[in-house]
Amino acid sequence: MARPSPAGWAARAAVVIGVVVITLAYVFSVKEFRADNLAAGVVVAVGALSLNVLVGYAGQISLGHQAFIGIGSFTAGYVITQSHQSFYVALVAAALVGAVQAAALGLIALRVRGLYFALITLAWGFVGESSIFKIKSFTNGGAGQPSPRPAGFTTDRGFLFICFAALAVVLLIDWRLMATKAGRALQALRESPAVASNYGVNVRAYTLLGFAVSGLYAGIAGALFASRRTTVVAGDFSFQLIALPYLIVTVVGGLRRRGGIVVFALLYELGGEYLPDLARGLGIKYVAVRAGYFIAGVSGLLAILTLIFQPDGLGTFTAPIGRWLKGEPFQLRS
Amino acid sequence: VLALIVTRPLIVGLANGAGFGLVAIGLVLVYKSTRVFNFAAGEFVTIGAFGTYLTAGWLPFPLAMLCGVLGGLVAGLVTEFLVVRPLANRAPVTILVATAAVAILCINVELIFGGVRTYNPRPAIHDAAMHVGGVFISWQQLLIVFALLVAGALLAVFFGFTDLGLATLATSQERTAARLMGIKPNRVSMLVWGTAGALGGLAGVLLPPVTISFSPAYGTTDVLIAAFTAAVLGGMTSIPGAFLGGVLVGVVQSMAQFNLRSIEGANALAVFVVLVAVLLARPTGLLGREA
Repeated sequence: MARPSPAGWAARAAVVIGVVVITLAYVFSVKEFRADNLAAGVVVAVGALSLNVLVGYAGQISLGHQAFIGIGSFTAGYVITQSHQSFYVALVAAALVGAVQAAALGLIALRVRGLYFALITLAWGFVGESSIFKIKSFTNGGAGQPSPRPAGFTTDRGFLFICFAALAVVLLIDWRLMATKAGRALQALRESPAVASNYGVNVRAYTLLGFAVSGLYAGIAGALFASRRTTVVAGDFSFQLIALPYLIVTVVGGLRRRGGIVVFALLYELGGEYLPDLARGLGIKYVAVRAGYFIAGVSGLLAILTLIFQPDGLGTFTAPIGRWLKGEPFQLRS
Repeated sequence: VLALIVTRPLIVGLANGAGFGLVAIGLVLVYKSTRVFNFAAGEFVTIGAFGTYLTAGWLPFPLAMLCGVLGGLVAGLVTEFLVVRPLANRAPVTILVATAAVAILCINVELIFGGVRTYNPRPAIHDAAMHVGGVFISWQQLLIVFALLVAGALLAVFFGFTDLGLATLATSQERTAARLMGIKPNRVSMLVWGTAGALGGLAGVLLPPVTISFSPAYGTTDVLIAAFTAAVLGGMTSIPGAFLGGVLVGVVQSMAQFNLRSIEGANALAVFVVLVAVLLARPTGLLGREA
């Protein structure tokens, strides 16, 4: 494969720098609440990337991501409030606890594969929702577990930078991991565990790795979720509010398409923010009040259309750009 | 004391379990013939519940109940035609995600028109029917158990004695060979999804009065997991298994809920434990022959 000329690399660098500069300019020039909204979008993006590891790479499925994200959130809140640690310690703790609970669930996936395992994740999600998140000493009951933002980043704009940084780290891990032997092994499992096993892939170890990585991202998403809200409440983590929308975002963004997933996650949250304004401007109060439901419903519809007509989702449009940035010639199809 | 610890949860569990059983039979039918885990099944239930609730005001009640069942039937047919059929040759996980997308679409449409509130549906027949060991049994509870028995019997007759039933079984066992024998898989698929939808709708008509209330997403949050557990317990391919599984899950759930009050969400926990135990120890279920 021909490598780009120095001018070609310069052009790629210019595009990256341009995007960063435009983003920074946007963040600093627009009103605060949009920053909070972008942060919400980043949280959804990290959560959807977590699902992407399971659904996209490993060929497993999780319908219980409200438990994944929620456990991360409450861990972060608990570590900050009850153990008096800093946000950064809480972030790491949430990531680790997320990885451990996901790997524990992965132990079951070693025995129960495919569609049947989907049921277990579904039931696990509801165990989280109706049992774990009701343990008063862990979640502080109905009042919720406070999880203040780190010093120096307490404004919406400040916290957005934390979110962007976390997203960048997750993207970097994801990109590099998938380029290694471990990443290829994980993807071989998706196609066929039996064949992968014959080629010397340790099925058990890599299945657990897939879950642990997914749980790690979910824990990070949970910690960000917690501090964005500053108080974690059990009601935020339900099947309709987390598990289904995140799955939809992953699918519409495109399985195995990091760029598409991030873009659609941001669109999903920004849509929820702009639609009420738009509807109010048009004088449709009915829609303005129920904007969140409209966005979620339309996303469901988009997901069905994506699966039928465009399995790569938004990734169809972002993947060529991603490949070009990595030094390949610009081509619409790989 | 016995009445509180055993009889009451048993009766509540049997009635709830009958509702789960109806949905579970639908799940099994769909899985048997199209190899799809239908995550939209819960919303067929909610659509049935709303169908009856909304029409009960201006229609005689039996007709309103029929509207609920028809609502479920139409939802099943539309899902089959617009979502499942175009994806027929894709990976099972893809179709699963698509049915989950149908669920989120339905849930949000319900939220848009129904709002975040609970609805108290009226039972088909008021009054308690009898009381056993100090516990009242309502007509509605008897009715839902009766409905499950009738549905089970009708389906047994259908698969055992009719050509169309045999054709459905043949398609589930060997799609290609069945087509070569002149069976139209699309027609079978339509039939199965319609039946599953109608069964879900029926559960939506009969179950909410037993559980007192329903709200948007009711079927997905309160019924779907229990129904899937019931279907898996029965082996996912066995209709009598789903039938028994539904009743069993209902009883286990309400036993846990009534007797383990100190544990939050004991019913969800109980279902999770049963599901994991069955899948680990006996993946073919209690009555299933193939996993």
